[in-house]
Amino acid sequence: MEITIEKRDAGTLVRVGGRMDAVAAPDFEKECAGVVESGEKLVVVDLAQLEYISSAGLRSILATAKKIKATGGAMKFSGLAGMVEEVFQVSGLGTLFEVAATPDEAF
Amino acid sequence: MADSARARVRKKTMRTNYRKRVSFARGAAFLLIAALCAALAVPGTARAGRAVRLALQWYPQAQFAGYYMALEKGLYAERGLYVTILPGSANNNSLSRVVDGRADFCTAFLSSALEYRDKGEELVNVGQFVRKSALMLVARKDSGIKSVKDLDGRRIGTWGDNFQLQPVALFKRENLDVTLVRQSPSFELFMRGGLDAAMAMWYNEYHRLISYGLNPEEMTAFFFSDLDLNQPEDGLYCLESTLEMWPGMAAAMVEASAEGWRYAFAHPEETVDVILRVMKKANVRANRAHQAWMLARMKDIILPDGAKDIDTRLRQADYERTRDALRSSGVIENDIPYNDFHKEAAR
Amino acid sequence: MKVHGIAFRLASLTLLVSSLILASIVGYNYTVSRSIIMDQAEDRGTLLARATSSRISNVLTSVRKVADAVSFSLEDGSLSEKRLNDLGNHIISDNPEIFGTAIAFEPYAFKADQEYYAPYHYRSQNRIAFTRLGGPDYQYFYMDWYQLPRELDRPVWTEPYFDEGGGHQLMSTYSVPFHRKRFDEKTLAGVVTADISLGWIKTMLSDLSEREAGYVFMLSRYGTFLAHPDADLVQNETIFSWAETLGRADIRELGRRMVAGESGIEEVDGLPLTGDSFLYFTSLPDQQWSIGVVFPKEAMFADVFRLNREVATLGILGFIALALLIIYLATRITRPLCNLTSSANEMASGNLDADVPVAASRDEVGELTASFLTMRESLKGYIANLTETTAAKERIESELRIAHDIQMGILPKLFPAFPERKEFDVYASIEPAKEVGGDLYDFFFLDDDHFCFLVGDVSGKGVPAAFFMAVTKTLLKVVAERDFDPGVVLAKVNDDLAEDNEACMFVTLFLAVIDIDSGETRYASAGHNPPLLLPADGPCEWVPPLNELVAGVMEGTSYTTKTMRMNPGDTLFIYTDGVTEAMDKDNNLYSEDRLMEEVNQCGGRSAESIIRTVAASIKAFTGGAEQSDDITMLAMQYLGSRKTNKEKHDGNND
Repeated sequence: MEITIEKRDAGTLVRVGGRMDAVAAPDFEKECAGVVESGEKLVVVDLAQLEYISSAGLRSILATAKKIKATGGAMKFSGLAGMVEEVFQVSGLGTLFEVAATPDEAF
Repeated sequence: MADSARARVRKKTMRTNYRKRVSFARGAAFLLIAALCAALAVPGTARAGRAVRLALQWYPQAQFAGYYMALEKGLYAERGLYVTILPGSANNNSLSRVVDGRADFCTAFLSSALEYRDKGEELVNVGQFVRKSALMLVARKDSGIKSVKDLDGRRIGTWGDNFQLQPVALFKRENLDVTLVRQSPSFELFMRGGLDAAMAMWYNEYHRLISYGLNPEEMTAFFFSDLDLNQPEDGLYCLESTLEMWPGMAAAMVEASAEGWRYAFAHPEETVDVILRVMKKANVRANRAHQAWMLARMKDIILPDGAKDIDTRLRQADYERTRDALRSSGVIENDIPYNDFHKEAAR
Repeated sequence: MKVHGIAFRLASLTLLVSSLILASIVGYNYTVSRSIIMDQAEDRGTLLARATSSRISNVLTSVRKVADAVSFSLEDGSLSEKRLNDLGNHIISDNPEIFGTAIAFEPYAFKADQEYYAPYHYRSQNRIAFTRLGGPDYQYFYMDWYQLPRELDRPVWTEPYFDEGGGHQLMSTYSVPFHRKRFDEKTLAGVVTADISLGWIKTMLSDLSEREAGYVFMLSRYGTFLAHPDADLVQNETIFSWAETLGRADIRELGRRMVAGESGIEEVDGLPLTGDSFLYFTSLPDQQWSIGVVFPKEAMFADVFRLNREVATLGILGFIALALLIIYLATRITRPLCNLTSSANEMASGNLDADVPVAASRDEVGELTASFLTMRESLKGYIANLTETTAAKERIESELRIAHDIQMGILPKLFPAFPERKEFDVYASIEPAKEVGGDLYDFFFLDDDHFCFLVGDVSGKGVPAAFFMAVTKTLLKVVAERDFDPGVVLAKVNDDLAEDNEACMFVTLFLAVIDIDSGETRYASAGHNPPLLLPADGPCEWVPPLNELVAGVMEGTSYTTKTMRMNPGDTLFIYTDGVTEAMDKDNNLYSEDRLMEEVNQCGGRSAESIIRTVAASIKAFTGGAEQSDDITMLAMQYLGSRKTNKEKHDGNND
């Protein structure tokens, strides 16, 4: 799994690529925790390069979202496609978060 | 004078009546003994032996290897011939020895034998061994002599008498004006440039020049046998009376001698050993290389042009060419018929 | 084992280098001393050849001068016979080296009636004897001693010969032509000769040969051996016939250079008498005779060979001493290493308490021993630590195994579960992954007519997931038995789970309740992947997804209850994503398409048969690749209501 963090004026863009499984999920959670602790109010997670997401991955997303919500911030998603989009849909996560087509649209 | 150089001075020895008588008496004695032996002999037993003296033209050397090997290997004795070989020298002409009754057989050049016959001696050729003349003319290439024509106006070393027949015929035929200088056997005059060309025997003097350090490619060689002037050389001779009295003896001599030559050619190393031993015993200077060369050349002239076996017949054409050459040069006078001169002894 | 140990390599390398050095020293020594000897021998040989030649020349020159003087005096035509005899006598008595002298005239030149006129004076038994040469048997005009000077018109030295009369002495004759005036023209009148014995040359040369390592020989102008230690060669052979007998073209070439009057030095190998030799040669210019000095290499180099042998012997002794020293030193250095090696081997086999040799020296080996000891202590500590950790890990694993067993134990495993109910056939299986997972399934009657069945998948793995699963299962059963509506059940369970769920664990759930009389089935899904409906008479189809949120995430989430009708023979196939995401060795997913295809083949089969078929298909697909997620399947086949069955049954009976 590859994570790149890009600070923008409106918020922070976190790009995630590869496989987000039980092994990789804690890394994602840790990276995002760093972003949240820095006081960021808007985190946009771009999953365009993500090939696979497991239930553990979903859990880490939910945990991160919960943290942001606690600080009064918001978490948005972009670039959902294929298997990831399907998982978002089936699990109902799509209804829980704001989802945009591209990161720019999300900000 | 202490000089030991040998000159070929032929002693003209007169036959005397005394010698003739002795010869006759001896012949009669042989006849008597032979008759007695024949009478006493049980059929099938070996023939009674006869003492036979064979005179050679010259000192012992490989030129006579066949006769020495026949003696050495008992080929004469096998045929009941107890042969004593009498080496020749400047003062001991082999033909004279036979004529005088000092020998029963001799080896000689055809031309020498014809001269004797012409003078009335009853010599006959019973077997011919050397078919091809070994006589040659040798010049140093650096003298500019490359062909026979180049001999014109030159000084040429010769030996006396019958060795001159072929060269004189050549010079006459080719219309060459040459100065003939009698040369000593040492070849010093030639070596020191006192002669432009010299006569040589292929089996002897030619090799001596090689032994003096001249390389064959530094010399021009003219063989008389190549110049339509071939003459048969060494043959076996005896008196007609001997032949008449003991016809079988001459045949046995020729056969055994031919056998001796075959043996010599087949066993050159052993033959050269024997020859060197004989030469040493006779106090004649000897060296192996020279004798080995001589033996090899004797093979070339006894078996010329790739002949397979020794032919002891004197060919009529060879004979007549030689005889006519001698007649035309005035050496002999009489027209001696082939059949009178050559008595084929070999069976 | 230790063939190429350090000691061996060190020793062989050092010895190789030292033997190379030794060899070069011996080689250099040999080359230099050889060239010194060769230079010396060259000087000595050249000197000897020249000295010999000049000694001989001196004697011959004096003889030549006498004969030249006599020839001059003979130009006087008025000399009487007596004066001629006196002259001959004087030549012999005044010149001890002259053996004989002849004054030989051309035919009829001295006396008009005498063809041969040649008085000859010679030594005989300490007296001077006299004879006249010439006659039909001795035609001296054709003798070399007369013919050569006459024809060449210059003085000559004849080829040496053995005098057969005078005690087999080697002789040579110097002959000078003399001229007289005849008809006002100088014409050749005769030849005067001086015979000298060359016996003294032979003596001189054999004296020299005795003093020197080699020998001296002499050749005539045509290469005839005049003197040579091999008496058989003398006067019998020329150097050329000798070369021919030996089969040596090089000797013939050498002979040609000698008789050509050259001087030089040549190496000649394999000579008779001396073997490999050096030849120094020069000539006597007047006579064109040649002197050769032969030095056998063996004798020349005997000293060099001896010196070299000694140097080599010393070198080899030194080499052996060096070898012993190096082997001793190398062994001393490597012995502690060997001991250390055997200790290490012992430790490697498990005995960490093996004796480690005491580091006696304060060198690299000592340091190595010390580090080795340190390493042993660290190793011991590490192993102790590892043992502890391993024990802890084993304990945890054992506990996990028990937890897993308990977890599996709470799922219904007995099939057929309701053998007395003919209205439906339910079958479920769970293939747990190696790690404890969170899949669950359950089925139970809510009352006589309502049968509830469900499949769930807790996010993540491990003990938390197992706990979450156990909680979920318990909650589901309790809630469902109170409330028959699947959407309400899920909402209530969700609320309970979401409460204080800091870890944000969640569970996907598909829960259905069937009225087994009518086949009416109500269901709800909390983010669970859609099940497959395999109708009795047609191709299977996905149950449309509701896309509602997974349970446990957000309190207050509501879930929709949907209704569908199952006809007798229809089968609902519920599964977790462990099925569709099962992977083969190349990480290809089993996929929904493959699942659908497989289930489609199962029309008319029993619930158990369908699940076994799919399980076999998954197993064949993964081909033994490690399973990463629980594989859970549940098949619910509706067979028709009791009444319908009864009717059917009754009808059949009627």
